[in-house]
Amino acid sequence: MSLHYTLSVVQEPKVMSTLLKSIPPQKNGSHPELSKSAALWTDMAKWFGDDIRFILVSLKGVDYQKIEELRLRVGKPLLLRTLDRDLFINQEGEITSPNNAYFIKHEDLACALERMTHSSVYAVEEDLKQGFITLPGGNRVGVAGEVVLQQGKIQTMKHISSLNLRIARDIPGLSQKILPLLLSMAGTVYHTLLISPPRAGKTTLLRDLIRSISNGVPQVGLNGQTVGVVDERGELAGMWQGVPTYDLGYRTDVLDGCPKASGMSMLVRSMSPQVLAMDEIGHADDANAITDALRTGVQILSTAHASSIEEARSRPVIKHLLEQGVFERLVVLSRRHGPGTIDGVYDLRTGRIL
Amino acid sequence: MLVLGCIALIAGCGCLGLWFAHRIRRRPLELRECSMALALLDTEIVWGATPLPEAFCLVKERTDTPWQGFFEELQERLQRGESASTAWKETVIIQNAHFCLKPEDWQIIADVGKGLGRSDRTEQHKQIELVQRQLILMKEQAEIWSGKQAKMWSYLGFLGGIAGVLVLI
Repeated sequence: MSLHYTLSVVQEPKVMSTLLKSIPPQKNGSHPELSKSAALWTDMAKWFGDDIRFILVSLKGVDYQKIEELRLRVGKPLLLRTLDRDLFINQEGEITSPNNAYFIKHEDLACALERMTHSSVYAVEEDLKQGFITLPGGNRVGVAGEVVLQQGKIQTMKHISSLNLRIARDIPGLSQKILPLLLSMAGTVYHTLLISPPRAGKTTLLRDLIRSISNGVPQVGLNGQTVGVVDERGELAGMWQGVPTYDLGYRTDVLDGCPKASGMSMLVRSMSPQVLAMDEIGHADDANAITDALRTGVQILSTAHASSIEEARSRPVIKHLLEQGVFERLVVLSRRHGPGTIDGVYDLRTGRIL
Repeated sequence: MLVLGCIALIAGCGCLGLWFAHRIRRRPLELRECSMALALLDTEIVWGATPLPEAFCLVKERTDTPWQGFFEELQERLQRGESASTAWKETVIIQNAHFCLKPEDWQIIADVGKGLGRSDRTEQHKQIELVQRQLILMKEQAEIWSGKQAKMWSYLGFLGGIAGVLVLI
């Protein structure tokens, strides 16, 4: 029997109703909703220099909740991406055609980077080497520019030419539908791998799973478990100077900014977690560390980039892990009906689709 | 009446002289304090990779007035979202009334702001180190110079007062 579990956020009309739940009075007219959106844009605008800040503050007809990405490229128009559309924005904050849009200057990028790092580019050096910086609040900003090498190793990045601000979404309750499928009879969590193409909600789902496991869900017979999170990219907890932006549950310990390979063994030794969660495995070191961690009896919860089970099998590191039978459950996400669509949950031991 | 006027004139000129002397003596002290603050800032940047607003806060706590006020203003400006180089430039202009430093000292100190926070740690370190070295040189010169000048001004005030009295009488 094959069931395709689809989350409540999949269908277009439903998207807003779920996302807007956190916004108190929204039924009576669109006014409070719009002002809320404007407030959120104003908050977002503080990361940019004067020109772009003005545009974002005066944005018209763009709902903050629908925007997934904000893209700045030198000499190219200012672009906001929603679920299925690219919106070009002009100087007055209106949606327009690409040729009439506001063109990003080099100064805009420099200003944005300066504000995002509080004028301390050196403090995010390590992150920049990996091509991103994390803002307080957990939003991640992808960075592209000229990479400076020293003895073959990435030293830093200069002359930044593109910024991609990805607006992180926190949707509590996302994991409820698939959680029962990831639990064994004994009430423990199976070793689980979440795969999806980029922008399909892996991190959001993982964050929600961590929270559910950590808090416990008595309805499905899950007691709260100690969760150790190795948050290499600072995206899961959105730590800002030691304070997590996202709620990851009552029994969660977060190791922020630590490489996954060493972080896993550190957590196992020091915090004795029952479940170990991490984002985006893909390096050979990660795979070795996971096999090591397995011997200590923790359950692994992780994500990887791949759009299907076949594609996952074609990636050497993931293939190796799958062949070794490390993971027991595989969850495939896609963007078919919006981010967070669950294409299927596989039992890797039997190969069945649950 | 005449005697009182004479005493007031001498005391006034004398105080003026003492005040000048005090300002001259303060200059090397302020330069030393500045180079110490920069050393702290450098440590925070190179070893701690501490973001500038936080680093300024730490430096502020460990320096005396007037540098305390200087770094406090910097911290506030950065937290408001200003860029480090403009914040430094403007703070130098606004705050320099509180100091006994000369324009040439400010020229060196203003150099710290150039590219502050815009590059990696090694670059930042180089920049701050350069400024520090110049400051130390400046401080040594200032010490020699201030010893003589301060003494001169403190005498000169009173003597000038006496001279004025003699002329007027």
